[in-house]
Amino acid sequence: MRPSLNWRYLTVASLLGLVAVAVLMQIVRIQTDPEVRELIGRSDLVVRYYYPPRGEIYDRHGHLLAGNITVYEITVSLADMTDPQAIALAMQTYIGKDFDTTLKLLTNPPAGASYIRLADYVSAEQATALMEVQKQMDADPRGNPLAALGFRAHLGRSYPEGTLAANVLGFVARNEQGYFGVEGRYSNQLAGVPVALLVPTDPRRALETPHISPGTSLILTLDRDLQAAVEEILQQAILENDAESGTIIVMNPRTGEILAMATTPQFDPNNYTAVDEVFTGSTPYNRAISQDYEPGSIMKILTMAAALDSGVVTPGTIFLDTGVINVGGEYIYNWDGGAWGYQDMTGCLAHSLNVCLAWVATQLDTDLFYTYMQRFGIGHPTGIDLAGEMTGRLKIPGDADWFPVDLGTNSFGQGVSVTPIQMVMAASALANDGKMMYPRVVAATLQNGRQTNMAPQVAGTPVSAATARTLSEMLAYALDTEALRALVPGYRVAGKTGTAQIPTRYGYDPELTNASFIGWGPVDDPQFLVYVWIEKPRSSPWGSVVAAPVFRQVVEKTVVVMGIPPDSVRAQLAGR
Amino acid sequence: MTQLTQMVQKVRQAPWRVQRQWIGLILLVIVLLAMLAGIYLSVTVRAGIVGREIQFLSAQIEQNQQKNADLQTQLAALTAVQNMEARAQALGFVPVSPEEITYIVVPGYVEESLVDLSTVSQDDSVSLLQPEYFETLFDWLTRKIAVGVAP
Repeated sequence: MRPSLNWRYLTVASLLGLVAVAVLMQIVRIQTDPEVRELIGRSDLVVRYYYPPRGEIYDRHGHLLAGNITVYEITVSLADMTDPQAIALAMQTYIGKDFDTTLKLLTNPPAGASYIRLADYVSAEQATALMEVQKQMDADPRGNPLAALGFRAHLGRSYPEGTLAANVLGFVARNEQGYFGVEGRYSNQLAGVPVALLVPTDPRRALETPHISPGTSLILTLDRDLQAAVEEILQQAILENDAESGTIIVMNPRTGEILAMATTPQFDPNNYTAVDEVFTGSTPYNRAISQDYEPGSIMKILTMAAALDSGVVTPGTIFLDTGVINVGGEYIYNWDGGAWGYQDMTGCLAHSLNVCLAWVATQLDTDLFYTYMQRFGIGHPTGIDLAGEMTGRLKIPGDADWFPVDLGTNSFGQGVSVTPIQMVMAASALANDGKMMYPRVVAATLQNGRQTNMAPQVAGTPVSAATARTLSEMLAYALDTEALRALVPGYRVAGKTGTAQIPTRYGYDPELTNASFIGWGPVDDPQFLVYVWIEKPRSSPWGSVVAAPVFRQVVEKTVVVMGIPPDSVRAQLAGR
Repeated sequence: MTQLTQMVQKVRQAPWRVQRQWIGLILLVIVLLAMLAGIYLSVTVRAGIVGREIQFLSAQIEQNQQKNADLQTQLAALTAVQNMEARAQALGFVPVSPEEITYIVVPGYVEESLVDLSTVSQDDSVSLLQPEYFETLFDWLTRKIAVGVAP
């Protein structure tokens, strides 16, 4: 090879070598330079906050009761903002935000802020209108004054049925926290688990982005159609009787499932900010679980059940009603002040005789009477899966405010306070062969597409099946003879009216009462249990006049919605 | 013969021949490195593109889920019990009373119970990905042996 050629080769080789060394040096520098490492690190992983969509709430047939709709968060980028006045004006015109407040926020932003949130949970219609204006202003030759506005779509709670079952559902506030009802009780499960994660921006690591499960959806035991019908009946009853408020509960006594729960005042959870205006003072969100009261004569069914179960009396036991009885040194009289003569136990229930039931309680003996009341769950929360349940109060011997006369008065529902749901749970034992069922509102959960149904739970067996059936027969007979307004053509039902005086600071209110009714049917195969409480009716003080017709209306709707054939049809079908 | 042997030896020992051998070797290494770099670049770019697609599709899934939830709620509002009742009444329907209903026996009728909203069956735990996409050679071998051994 010629020497000149050799020199050229060497030169090229040296240059290539230098380039290679430079490349190597650069590689080492990139790997070790702290500034470059920080830059790489900053862009490689970013913190992202994931808020899983809140679970939905359905009725037992899959009708949506609480869902999610798209709402918008509107922000402004301070670095891109050119015309704060235009932005404030647009926010006032399209979103309804006060001009001065927005302008003040834009012109005096918090120190260090680069973005400001101007509004959140803006409806899709309002946000779309503003986005359209922003788009149109792109054509402005002086530059778009709304270019700095940013829109982020996310989900917000919505209740498509409006006020329907609102007292059971509760509501969700802007902080995504559920309050009252199902939303309050199951808030954590519905909301899912919000997480903050370091997410790689490198597309090659896209699979490292975690999958965030949405919140658990719930299927309720409520029947939407029955709930709507019961709410309508309740509103009508309150109006017709000029009552202060009311509560109706429909339960399946076999399973403890609440099929309908209506109470007042009603409330639209879509407009939850009005909650303080609707529930003023001590008004509870859901009277069915949060308001205790003296139940009056409907309590007699528990006293009689206890006496029958312990063998102290039988349906044929005769009692001579002289119109007065002395218990613990105090005299107790009948509701009408009269003496009803010889009565069997069915007659005592049919005529709702206080004197007779007080005598029955004394025959039971104090300890046994209160043992039975506690077995029925009186004085204890039922454990229903709704937020805000109250306990009620059952004074027992040994309590500072218990007196011997309480045995007599408690037997017919005075001097003891219960919540409607407590009475419903206690009565479920009588309608379900002695087995008392835990009341429940959630029938199933739905997580990642998998449904888990909840099993019914027995809360106890306060009385035997034979006692429960005997009492049902006695009550059905009593209704047939004394409470004609509660009877439902074609269906044999058992039940008891209640007219309770209202205790005040100065004794019992001389005029106002609580009218109630509790009943179940069909007697031979109970499939529904209905409880009605009309508070302070002014049309009539009597439960038999005010609450019994409401019971009948509810049962008439219930048998249609649940598809329960009349007794004669069921007998025919059973005979085949 | 001796002359021929000498000539071959001269050619073999020529300096330019040794240099060519070195240059050839270096070029071979460079070509190999270039090939490796090319393959690496190609795989990286493809992985990047697929990753971008995954990111895009994930965002689209999120948007669609949001839209679905929105539409589902809108539909529920349109079919709310009050609206349906009003529409039924407008069509001339009236609420039925218990005595107006005639019950008939329908063989095989199953009484309506709680709705089933599950979207996956209880045994739907099988991965959508074929085993070829995630199992190692050893896993494959173990699986094949297990299948072969199974009765």
